[in-house]
Amino acid sequence: MHYLDWAATAPPYRDILEAAVGVATERYGNPSSRHGAGRDARALLESARERLGAAIGAAPSSVVFTSGGSEADAIALLSTLVGKGERSVVISELEHPAVYEQARALESLGVRVVRVRPERDGVVSPGRVAEALRPDTAVVAVMAVSNETGAIQPIGRIVEAVRSAAGPRRPFVHCDAVQALGTIGFDARALGVDGAAFSAHKLGGPRGVGALYLSRPISPLVLGGGQEGGMRPGTHNTAGAWAFAEAAARAAASVEARMERARALERRLFDGLRAIPGATPLPEGRLPGDERYSPYIACLSFPGLAGETMTRLLDEAGVAISTGSACSSSKKERRSLDAMGVDRELSFSSIRVSSGRDTSEADIDAFLEAASSAYIRFRV
Amino acid sequence: MDALYLIKIGEIRLKEGNRTEFEQRLKHDLKRRLSSIHSEVRHRDGRYYLTVAEEHAGLAEFVLARTPGVNGWARAVMTSKDIDAVRAAVLEAAAAVVARGAATFKVEARRSDKSFPLSSYEIASGLGADILERFPSLRVDVRAPEATLYVEIREKAYVYTDGYPGVRGLPIGSGGRGLLLLSGGIDSPVAGYRMLCRGLSLESLYFHAYPYTSREAWEKVRDLAATLASFSGGMTLHTASFTDVQLRIKKDAPAEKTTLYLRACMMIAADMVAKARGLNAIVSGESLGQVASQTAENMRFTGSFTDHAILRPLVGTDKEDTIRTARAIGSYELSILPYEDCCVLFSPKHPILKADFAAEREAFEALGLREAVAESVATMETLEVPFSPELPRAGAAR
Repeated sequence: MHYLDWAATAPPYRDILEAAVGVATERYGNPSSRHGAGRDARALLESARERLGAAIGAAPSSVVFTSGGSEADAIALLSTLVGKGERSVVISELEHPAVYEQARALESLGVRVVRVRPERDGVVSPGRVAEALRPDTAVVAVMAVSNETGAIQPIGRIVEAVRSAAGPRRPFVHCDAVQALGTIGFDARALGVDGAAFSAHKLGGPRGVGALYLSRPISPLVLGGGQEGGMRPGTHNTAGAWAFAEAAARAAASVEARMERARALERRLFDGLRAIPGATPLPEGRLPGDERYSPYIACLSFPGLAGETMTRLLDEAGVAISTGSACSSSKKERRSLDAMGVDRELSFSSIRVSSGRDTSEADIDAFLEAASSAYIRFRV
Repeated sequence: MDALYLIKIGEIRLKEGNRTEFEQRLKHDLKRRLSSIHSEVRHRDGRYYLTVAEEHAGLAEFVLARTPGVNGWARAVMTSKDIDAVRAAVLEAAAAVVARGAATFKVEARRSDKSFPLSSYEIASGLGADILERFPSLRVDVRAPEATLYVEIREKAYVYTDGYPGVRGLPIGSGGRGLLLLSGGIDSPVAGYRMLCRGLSLESLYFHAYPYTSREAWEKVRDLAATLASFSGGMTLHTASFTDVQLRIKKDAPAEKTTLYLRACMMIAADMVAKARGLNAIVSGESLGQVASQTAENMRFTGSFTDHAILRPLVGTDKEDTIRTARAIGSYELSILPYEDCCVLFSPKHPILKADFAAEREAFEALGLREAVAESVATMETLEVPFSPELPRAGAAR
């Protein structure tokens, strides 16, 4: 199989997952316990925290282990509900459902939600985010890399714009960095965000582990045994945290080395696409090498052939891709493409091709060949 | 111990001419659904009695609740025609009534064996008094009791409490044989169910358009066929590939007429299948005015492609009522799964509402689609979906 769905999940590092079984079975103490086994597990957990911190540009004390990216986003957003007074939240129209649907839930509980549209190129303008702020804005959430188009959001400039536009009550700036860590890289301190969400399985770690970066403590909605500084209660997943840190460290160490290769594959993909009459990248006019986009994610449209149909035909040909966000692919609407003003026929016919550390030229070529022949045969 | 069920039949009783045939069919239907276990169906004086081993009570009740022709059924206890034995059974039934929280009751007795020494009235009042004595919390209410205990003195004595409703109607096959145009939507399974309950035995025909429609869409239809099979005792599902037909229509027909012509092609295919399989009627889930293709004008047009009776049991039914039935028969949750039967690229934005009959007949024939339809019927695949007490569940495979 030619696997080109890395943005949905990355094949795990086998050695890390195997070693994690040893960690789980041998260092099984509860890190909160006050005995030798507990202290041993605690030491392991703290070293994982340190390693992960180094990979995301954070002090260990700013790293909160969670059950995944969605929970990390939820902790940040749900803090809006704690405390008195009116609150509002500003998010981009591009956000992953982990943020977008959570914001909708907040809305139903009386929190005002302002949604900022991206520009036509799929990039959110810092100025527009600043304009959306209100005196009661508690949280601003903009993702680092769009999981549908690969558009890299100017997080550093958004943080600056929010800082200079905000009043005395400085909003908490949160960034879903799930698609950035391990691909284009993410440095929380350099970008100046207050919070950021990460997921282990997107970069070769196990499922069910993620992290929340917090520059300062927030008021969590969900309470319990006080673990993770009270930010995320629940017995620690020591082995999961360890494996996440290992995978993140390994991925982070090779970000730059892999970038060149990813750009070359991106060029190969886009050059091949140009040879298929009618096919187009989204946004239209995206070129390989454009710094505004992650080379690992491309949204491509084959007008006249539904993205769902193309996905099915490619699957038959042994090529795994997805229609937009894998989590919301059953919906006919393409929210973020709509927000970019993409024509409905183009967005309906779009697919997402995403690459990763093991992707080869042969994978790209197999995709191009299968997509081209499926398009010629079944386009209506 | 055996579980004994008393079965009430409804309309069969009214159809004097065919009565024997109907009764044979019902008996056969029950036996066939229970063929995996040992069961006994006895028929006496317009009543059916089903006996199965206690461990198969669940299956028996599943079958009784879903076999057309069964008006209602109740779990009964059979005793000898001895008043002490009857009393013991009645007191046990009353204990169950108390356990489920009923506060009022009555006893209804029927004596068809006139040699029994007590009259119906004496049986009822005597047993009522016995119950009151044993269960002081109960009160008698002859007008609107929360529970009714029935005692019937026939060749044996039978004791039972309030029963459960069946799906009623007529035994399968007593109304002939038909072909259901089955899709993954809400309506067609309900239409099929309605006709099954009128005694029509059914086969189903589904049109798929791979790769424009998915394997999941077909599996959903197969599961809907299995749901119907729980009422019909099995379902033959034919699947015809309409990909080429759809592509031809898309290429050659004006956009606003594609749906109308597609429906016509489906009717031609249904007509061919019905003739080949010896089926007398075509069943469709159409409801007047529900979508553009379901206007009287368009139904006339599509209906003109067959000389079989087209049965549209939902034609005057409100969607809310159809949904209620779909929920009751267990098809709704399957039907709303998000796997489409038709890619939107084939659906016109503004379909024609009122076909001009003569003009459209001519325009349709000019397209020469009959050959492609015949090819799809010739390559059709047929699956026998068996009766199973395990109903498909939405989400089980996802």
